[in-house]
Amino acid sequence: MQKAERLLDLAALLLRASEPVSWRDIQEQFPDDYGGPGEAAIRKFERDKAELLELGIPVRWVGGDEDLSAGYLVDKEDFYLPDLKLPPEDLALLYVAGSAALAQRVFPYARDLAHAMNKLSFAARAPGASEVAAVAALQLSADDAEEDARADAARRLEAISIAVAGRKRVHLVYAGAERRGRTERDVDPYGLYQRGGAWFLAGFCRLRQDIRSFHLGRIVSVEVNAAAPRTPDFEVRKGFSLAELATRESWEFRMHAPVRCRVRLEGPAIQEERESFGPRATWKDVDGGVVVEVEVTNEEALLRHVLSQGDRAEILAPKALREKARKVLAALARRVA
Amino acid sequence: MTRKVAAKADSRDRLRRVLFLVPYAVRHPGIPVRDLARKCGVPEKQILEDLDFLLGVGCPPFAPDDFLDLYVDGDKVHVALHQSFSRPPRFTESEAAALAAAARALGGEGRERVVRALRDAVPRDRRALFDELLDRIFAGSPPAKDSLLGRIEQAIAARRALRIRYFTDSRGEESERVVHPYTLAQRLGHWYLWGHDEARGKALPFRLDRIRECALDEKRFEPPSDAELARGRLFSDAQGTPVRLRMGPLAAAWALARPGQWRVVKRDAKGGAVVEVPGVSDEWATRFALSFGGDAEVLSPPSARRHYGDAVRRALARYR
Repeated sequence: MQKAERLLDLAALLLRASEPVSWRDIQEQFPDDYGGPGEAAIRKFERDKAELLELGIPVRWVGGDEDLSAGYLVDKEDFYLPDLKLPPEDLALLYVAGSAALAQRVFPYARDLAHAMNKLSFAARAPGASEVAAVAALQLSADDAEEDARADAARRLEAISIAVAGRKRVHLVYAGAERRGRTERDVDPYGLYQRGGAWFLAGFCRLRQDIRSFHLGRIVSVEVNAAAPRTPDFEVRKGFSLAELATRESWEFRMHAPVRCRVRLEGPAIQEERESFGPRATWKDVDGGVVVEVEVTNEEALLRHVLSQGDRAEILAPKALREKARKVLAALARRVA
Repeated sequence: MTRKVAAKADSRDRLRRVLFLVPYAVRHPGIPVRDLARKCGVPEKQILEDLDFLLGVGCPPFAPDDFLDLYVDGDKVHVALHQSFSRPPRFTESEAAALAAAARALGGEGRERVVRALRDAVPRDRRALFDELLDRIFAGSPPAKDSLLGRIEQAIAARRALRIRYFTDSRGEESERVVHPYTLAQRLGHWYLWGHDEARGKALPFRLDRIRECALDEKRFEPPSDAELARGRLFSDAQGTPVRLRMGPLAAAWALARPGQWRVVKRDAKGGAVVEVPGVSDEWATRFALSFGGDAEVLSPPSARRHYGDAVRRALARYR
């Protein structure tokens, strides 16, 4: 019997049974599959059981007592998708967020997400308006341009997603930004984060012996350690926080020792400007403007951020960075003269 | 991928699909094969093969009534016997975690409520794995305050009009609008509310981080028709002369690895490039070029080049 068929037959048997089904009964019902003697049959059954669990079908063994015989069962309560019992606005959140993520095509566990969205229609009574909103979100966010490149990125992301979930080591060929050459490295994939519309893999790089981020667009190829897929290759380091890494400002990347920098903005800072300096910046109103102070471990990035604001912003301190800003602008001014 | 791995993925895909397909057909008697195929994201041929496969599935002792019985009448699918597959299984941990990560990145007052509900919809033994996996995906920070997003989500669900105070970047000012919120959508790293603007008489995108305030209105609205949706665009096609920028190797490597509507005009041997971006303002082009700290400049059209040159000179003046 084909495996897919066997798994469904087994699920149907256990779902219909009103009492646990003994191993002996299972063997009798599936003589060709589990009928053999000894360990091999049990191991095969255990593998099937694990696969059913991965599909969302929890098969449990219960020890017998006076009232109940020992055997396997699928707890119906723990099998059927329940109603999520969420208010309409929360359903709108789920539908819209899920559809917009799906439309990106490049999203971790995109295939699982598609299944989840399908199941959602069973998990909520009368989603009506939210479903319409989801269709609209899907349509509006979908980007048909660069379809091939995205399909490729989606495949790489899927492989990495699987490695993250199973904690399996990956081998990357990576095209660095600064040095144009490619490097090959083994990485323990800790997690995936999105920033500015791009996805990054965060993980322990065995080449650099440190936690690093890898831009998905620069991962040329990825190979997941195929040995022992259900046994993790590594533990995530204690204290690692993906959210913290993902929300770091670019000038907070650790390139050098911390330096306090001061930037002057002309006029009152609008909300967007305030947010652009991140939650850790401090603000002080001064005559005709605002001075913002930040701790910087990547001066180059702060310089870029300030320059992008044109004549609205000016670096006050440290002196060396101020001088650098002047030099960059002077060079640019010579080019446009 | 080796053939063995591929075959395994195929069989797993099929199982997941049919575990949804059977209950869906139970709930929608007579659903056309075409609709099922669209819902499952596979060709119709695949659905017909799945239905064939399902005919062989049943439970011991495999008497005639012990088999699944789905049949196609004309092009419509009917289920005679579903063998307890009347509802799909609970979410797997990765299904729930992916959806929860997406919901967290959008936000709203229900953010943690939906995460808990999704967790509860995972089989008990897998919830610890869900927790672990959710810590491994960060899809972004919410684009606005939870309270503001909560109200927008409420308005979408209840089809109620919204009064918003909106900041328009190109004019640098705020204005009041009444919007029929159709949906929220994400493009190029930003979230937008897409809805019908009453005063302007058409559907428009509003960047969520530029909505300063919003309140639900008593007025209700009709959802957009399918035709209106099909025409819907977050942005109208970019018009006007595209802006041309020259980028050094670092800037080009950074920009081209990110989503955007770049058209590469020319590449040089060192990795630099001349690119065109359609439909952006002179202000945007200046800001963008300067954000590369000297590794990019605006070339054309003349108005954009002028804007850029002025900005550089004025910024330089501050350092004298």
